[in-house]
Amino acid sequence: MKIVHRICLSDLINISLLVVIGFFAIQSFDELLAKFRFTAIADGLNAAFLEMRIAEKNYLLYGDKEALNSISTRIADTLPTLSDEREQIEQVTGGTDYNRLVQLLADYRSNVRALIDGYGNEQRVRESGHALRTFSENLTKLERDKVAGIIEHSKAVLRHSFWAVIFFAFVFTQWNARSIRRSLRQVEQLTHAISRGDFSAAQEKPSADELGSIVQAISAMSEELNRREEEIVRSKRLASIGVLVAGVAHELNNPLNNISMIAQTFLELHDKLGSEQQLEFMTQIDEETERLRVTIRNLLDFSKPKDKEVELRHLNEVVQKCLGLVQNLLTIGNIKTKLALADDLPEFCIDEHQIQQVLVNMLINAIQSMPPGGILSVGTRVLPAQHAAEIEISDTGKGIPPELINHIFDPFFTTKDEGGTGLGLWVSYGIIKNHGGEIHVKSTVNQGTTFTVTLPTNLEKCGYAEQHHDH
Amino acid sequence: MQSSIMIIDDERIVGDMAKLSLSQEGYDVETFLDGETALKRLQEKPFQVVVTDLKMKGVDGLEVLRTVKQLYPQTVVIMITAFANLDVAIEALRDDVFDFFPKPVKIKDLKASIRRALEGGEKAPQR
Repeated sequence: MKIVHRICLSDLINISLLVVIGFFAIQSFDELLAKFRFTAIADGLNAAFLEMRIAEKNYLLYGDKEALNSISTRIADTLPTLSDEREQIEQVTGGTDYNRLVQLLADYRSNVRALIDGYGNEQRVRESGHALRTFSENLTKLERDKVAGIIEHSKAVLRHSFWAVIFFAFVFTQWNARSIRRSLRQVEQLTHAISRGDFSAAQEKPSADELGSIVQAISAMSEELNRREEEIVRSKRLASIGVLVAGVAHELNNPLNNISMIAQTFLELHDKLGSEQQLEFMTQIDEETERLRVTIRNLLDFSKPKDKEVELRHLNEVVQKCLGLVQNLLTIGNIKTKLALADDLPEFCIDEHQIQQVLVNMLINAIQSMPPGGILSVGTRVLPAQHAAEIEISDTGKGIPPELINHIFDPFFTTKDEGGTGLGLWVSYGIIKNHGGEIHVKSTVNQGTTFTVTLPTNLEKCGYAEQHHDH
Repeated sequence: MQSSIMIIDDERIVGDMAKLSLSQEGYDVETFLDGETALKRLQEKPFQVVVTDLKMKGVDGLEVLRTVKQLYPQTVVIMITAFANLDVAIEALRDDVFDFFPKPVKIKDLKASIRRALEGGEKAPQR
């Protein structure tokens, strides 16, 4: 059931309850009003009857004939009142009691008249006067009691209605609040599921209530988000493929062009070329072919990394070996080195050749970026919590401008004036990713660049269970 | 008078081979590995034709083109590049360059283009 329907239903029930209560209250007040009117009339009649009885007593005690006339006059005055108020009285007492009252008054009048005319019986006058007054008083008393009863009853009904309204309002509020809360909770779970990347709930057939329409809206939104994300990923991939292909074409076209131009020149001028020049042409073709081969091998290295040949190795030893390989460059460039190798490094399961390729590449980058007298800092550090270590290579070189730093891992991107293939960091990135590690770079122009390689120990890859290293 | 031709390409072999081949036609050919040195040489000596690579470190082919068009409007510029997919850039350059050659370059076509340029001929039809 829709929440809006539930709220309408509970409102409807409460309103009808209030209407019934109001209707009952009006009824009760109408009844009370009629009773009060009646008692007012009855009080008047009772007073008249009392006076008649007093006059009757005067006659009986003192033989005062005037008293009998007075009774007769009063009866004559009372009869029109009775017939005037007949409707009111009948409404309250019913037709029978009214007729009985009129009858008793008529009896009393005929008895009094008989006495005035001289043939009456005093005893009958007294009896009929007594009957009239007793009936009238009883009737009044009965109606007074009824008034009290009506008030009591109305009070009880109103009290119960009050609690009933409170109760229903409370029950419906709880009922509605619970279903709203349930719906909200489901929406919350749904959005959590979607944010975890689980779209299954959003794709279920939605229910017909408000939750259903929210689910529909959310699933439409998530589909749209999904679609756009795919679009972005696709366009990024296309863009990077575009960069790659353009770079590949450029890098292949240059040596290809060189070979082609040498061949064309040779064909044109072969009879004019000395044998030494011919040999030089062939050497150049061989060198250009080698250039092509290297470019193609680097490309393949990245796109389909060679199977790693992993072994347990000490990282510090690998770092030392790499420094040994670039020692010549350090000497030529007059670069000082600062070493800060952690002595508590665990063994790592790595492909030593690949890691060496990465580190040598970074060391050469660092050395080439520095003027003579620069400082190369190499450090290693344990990250016990991640079962990993960091290798940090810093230089005091020219740095990388912020607008270029996002491109340094792009294929064929290079900041070197000559001799850079633009593939070194690109291949390094692939190797470190392949080892489950990360490369980060920080750089300030004219102050230097720091590369940080994070490598996990990956002991399980070498057949060892992952151990926790406490130091 | 002997026509002077300047070849600018950071690939040494391009200049070497072009020079060998073009010298056979009786041209005076000078080769440069970067734009900066080439522009300096232009201040000293007029060249009828400049053949330049597009992508070079430092002063690139575009800058060479701009400078030549500004300072030596009589000089013809022929562009070569290893980028094969620069259609849009090439279109933009078409008004300023006499001819455009994607690598690998056919030396025969390059020669023909230079000859046409020196004869004050029409630009090559769009390739």
